[in-house]
Amino acid sequence: MADSATLEAVNIDQDAGDFTYPEDYEHDAGYGLTTETIDYISDIKKEADWIREFRHRALKVFNDKPMPTHWASKDLENIVFDNIRYYLSKGQKPTRSWDEVPDDVKETFERLGIPEKERKFLAGVEAQFDSEAAYSNVKEELEKEGVIFVNSTEGLREHPELFRKWFGKVIPTGDNKFSALNSAVFSGGSFIYVPPGVKVAHPLQAYFRINAENFGQFERTLIIVDEGAEVTYMEGCTAPKFETATLHSAVVELVAMKDAKIQYITVQNWSNNVFNLVTKRGMAHENAEIRWIDCNIGSRLTMKYPGVIMKGRKARGEVISIALANDGQHQDTGAKMIHAADETTSNVVSKSISVGEGRSTYRGQVHIPKHLKGCKNNTECDALLINSNSRTDTYPAITVRGNQHATQHEASVSQVSEEQIFYMQQRGLSEGEAMSLSVNGFVNDLVREFPMEYSVELKRLIDMEMEGSVG
Amino acid sequence: MPRKERRNWLNFNNMSQTLNIQNLHASVDGNEILKGLTLEVPKGEVHAIMGPNGSGKSTLSKVLAGHEDYEVSEGLVTMDGVDLLELEIDERSRAGLFLAFQYPHEIPGVTNANFLRAALQARLPKGEEIDAVGFYKDMYAKMDSLNMDRKFTGRAVNDGFSGGEKKRNEILQMMMLDPNYAILDETDSGLDIDALKIVAEGVNRMRSPERGFLVITHYQRLLDYIVPDVVHVLFDGRIIKTGGKELALELEEKGYDWVTQELAPA
Amino acid sequence: MAQENLVSWFAAPPVLELGLELPDWYHQLQESSWQRFLTIPEPARTDENWRFADLKKVQFSELQAARPAQNIEVLIKRAMTERVNEFAAHFVFANNRLVYSEINGLPEGAVCLPINEALAEHGDLVREYFMQEKGSLGGDKFSALHAAATLSGLFIQFPKGTTCELPILTHHFASGDFNCVFPHTLVIAEDNAEVSVVDTFETANNDEQNIFFANVDLVATNGASLQYVALQDESDRGPKHVQINSSRVGRDAKITSAFVNLGAEWIRQESTARMMEQGSDCQIFSANLANGVQEYDQRTLQSHEAQHTTSDLLFKNALYDQSRTVFAGLIEVKPGSHHTDSYQTCRNLLGSNEAEANAMPGLEIDADQVKCSHGSTSGQISDEEIFYLQARGIDAEAARQMISLGFLNESISRLKGEAVQTYLFERFERKFRSLRDA
Repeated sequence: MADSATLEAVNIDQDAGDFTYPEDYEHDAGYGLTTETIDYISDIKKEADWIREFRHRALKVFNDKPMPTHWASKDLENIVFDNIRYYLSKGQKPTRSWDEVPDDVKETFERLGIPEKERKFLAGVEAQFDSEAAYSNVKEELEKEGVIFVNSTEGLREHPELFRKWFGKVIPTGDNKFSALNSAVFSGGSFIYVPPGVKVAHPLQAYFRINAENFGQFERTLIIVDEGAEVTYMEGCTAPKFETATLHSAVVELVAMKDAKIQYITVQNWSNNVFNLVTKRGMAHENAEIRWIDCNIGSRLTMKYPGVIMKGRKARGEVISIALANDGQHQDTGAKMIHAADETTSNVVSKSISVGEGRSTYRGQVHIPKHLKGCKNNTECDALLINSNSRTDTYPAITVRGNQHATQHEASVSQVSEEQIFYMQQRGLSEGEAMSLSVNGFVNDLVREFPMEYSVELKRLIDMEMEGSVG
Repeated sequence: MPRKERRNWLNFNNMSQTLNIQNLHASVDGNEILKGLTLEVPKGEVHAIMGPNGSGKSTLSKVLAGHEDYEVSEGLVTMDGVDLLELEIDERSRAGLFLAFQYPHEIPGVTNANFLRAALQARLPKGEEIDAVGFYKDMYAKMDSLNMDRKFTGRAVNDGFSGGEKKRNEILQMMMLDPNYAILDETDSGLDIDALKIVAEGVNRMRSPERGFLVITHYQRLLDYIVPDVVHVLFDGRIIKTGGKELALELEEKGYDWVTQELAPA
Repeated sequence: MAQENLVSWFAAPPVLELGLELPDWYHQLQESSWQRFLTIPEPARTDENWRFADLKKVQFSELQAARPAQNIEVLIKRAMTERVNEFAAHFVFANNRLVYSEINGLPEGAVCLPINEALAEHGDLVREYFMQEKGSLGGDKFSALHAAATLSGLFIQFPKGTTCELPILTHHFASGDFNCVFPHTLVIAEDNAEVSVVDTFETANNDEQNIFFANVDLVATNGASLQYVALQDESDRGPKHVQINSSRVGRDAKITSAFVNLGAEWIRQESTARMMEQGSDCQIFSANLANGVQEYDQRTLQSHEAQHTTSDLLFKNALYDQSRTVFAGLIEVKPGSHHTDSYQTCRNLLGSNEAEANAMPGLEIDADQVKCSHGSTSGQISDEEIFYLQARGIDAEAARQMISLGFLNESISRLKGEAVQTYLFERFERKFRSLRDA
């Protein structure tokens, strides 16, 4: 059906993340999760007591909390926490030069095109290999302006006065079982501070790579953007296709002070054996804006509902989300909009595509409590079903108190009809090309929200996933 | 251009310069609609097919384009000597067959410009890229000739178009794809007289010794503007009468009953 | 702990001595249902079907099967002041007992009997359709209790081809603190039959803590058309109202159901509509006027189980004071139910700064060539709208009510039959009047 050039291109792309280097780790916390695991991690990181205690408390919460299977997928029960290694590192400190990065790690990121992207259009890069960052660099001029872009270990050690205040405050440990797990064993991730008025013109990028099997990656990210400052942060991720399940469970907290703007972009392309259970939330103060731009293509099960707490007057929250679920995948994504001040506005646009036996789910929560005025929410979620065995679900929940608000929610389900494909084929496009064009048309307006370099990549990823879905 | 050369070479072989339909039987959901249809459209000619509702007009266009709902049980269709029925839908299109749809489908999110580019790109040999500047220049000129606003290029294909806009868009696609044979399936339906004139002018401009047309219509009106060389009457899945353009006028005057009573097999 | 609570709802099954010989299967069903009632846990927070619900409202205790009501003559008179001559039949139940009936004109062959008489006389027919749907929207415990109790209400069967222009009307009154009534309506519209039924739920006195545990079974087979309306116009304070509806729609058949809520302190309504064969269609409407501290909790399921089925749902809530509404609706398209068209809309009009509207419109789609959508909005009457009416000489309060009435009427106006529409519209006006006077 597809010509050989397409197939060739596709094959290369599909395998882009599917390689691994032999394991060679200095530090390995071993299998299973106990209080010793936590002390092991804390010791290696030479952490302050308050962090160690924070971890121990979180472990208890994690153990006490049941799996949320009363509403979520039963597939969660297939995670065997005892078969996972919670910390793996080569014992290296993140370097500022690719030349100092160990060869296998460096080659990994080169194959993924990270250094090239850095040269082209990024203001700073952090590259994490399993539990720790291998490379971390930010353009000098930004450093001079006071922008801090480090990994979480360094952030908590070197800048406690900045980060401790907000650490674990936007997402409390007990928010859910997996935020508790992350709080117990977190390692890696970015800590960013942008001083008042500094507008970072180019994106900062983090890249998360899982190399080892039976491993859990638990990065922790905290981004604080001070008054009137602006930043765009992008994250990408890949892992090889292992036989056994791998766990990725991050916690990402954003704080946008008065008049600040944060744009957080994710292109999630984990391999199909990764459980991707991520908690992401931002707090927007007066007149601040937080936008989550989220694209989920990979993983076996993703559960991710980026949220914004609009804490200050006229704060704005937005979630733009694209999900593509193929055979054996469940993209369970959504948004959480908590209005906590007057005249706050939120917008959610979600588009999902289910291919083959893939399943996509939207879960949303919009909350407008009493005694507020002038809050607005708009939610649109559209689902596209490609095959007759594809599945989609939509579960929004909207609570509005008071008579000075406006909310609007719309959802629709449709498919690429046979007649539409016939029409396009009659103009000379192959069935596969017709399907790709239709699907790209469906998500086109959202893809435009991604930076140019990413939208091209996204389009290619979508084309790639669509291959073989027809006929 | 390589394609022109190919065409010239083929011109030597005059016998095969036709769209030739022999004894075509086709059914949908087990009901036979076409019951031995025979018809030949040589290049350079415009043939009209008229017929009452349910006679099989739209079925013919879908079968020729290769719609999967229609099953061909018997017969032969060749286009310039090539067995059309052996080709996939898109292969037929790339081989030079164009169908202007009676109900052009909407393609949300895909702009007209992107769609046409993709369709033209599909016709180029591997590794060859379409010349974007030339493409837009060509498209704008053709849009101007159809009185189409240039904003149409950025709108999704047929999405939210009026009936007239959709039909005009079909003609634009035909102009851009430059087919050897074009089938116009009830292109006049849903058009007011001004739109009809514009569409007909577009078609007339495309008439050439190198192109054949099959114009399917229920009403004679369209044929005032696209004057056919030959008129066929389709009834119950067969061509029951063939004549010159005056046959259309006669049909309009006397109605389909006249021809069916006179000619339909008892 | 939970077990103690259960028993505290009722000390013994709420069964009355009827003096009728009921079939064995029914007695057995009552007994097993009582056991089920005892074992099913109380609604809990972890159950998605009870998300946003006020669980305090279902902490019952010391309930009792209703004793005969006082002043029955007054109640009958109240029921008779309605436009009863616009109905084909009229039945009045008070505290679970039939106290009045009148038949103006039912088509030949149609059966319209109190459910207990039907159990005694047409036991087998009742059995086929009686409570066959196991509640799946959270109200299992209520259904089990209902099946264990002695019932009131009507059994209506319209045989093949039987049609009736006029609707059938019932009144269910409850009277006396902690008295529970168990209204049941079972309607069977057989092939190509047409029937329309209105249930009215009222309380005899204001501010008494009565509880209605109602269940409704609706069945329409090939080409039949069935309309059912529940009008809940109980006292604003005191009563609680639980209602569980199930509809089974056959080939090319149609069931329209509507829920109109004007009173009660707390209601829980569950509606399951199953489109079971090709051409099945279901229309579900609701118009609710909530004020004071009223809480209306409604859950619906539109279940598409065959190809080429359709359904539409429109729920409208007008909220005042500290009232609260919960709407949870799910459109489920089962595997293989291709060519489904299904829609769902919930609109909330918030009329005070303390009212709260919750909406959970859901979709679960597992089929091809499906057109499904849902929408939910909340907003308020704009100042411009009020201003426009004021400029025509209408005072602001009247203008507000007029707009609210129009808002609610949108879903009522899609019901069939002038008698039904007028009947409901007058109740709305009456309620608005009482709000104005208060």
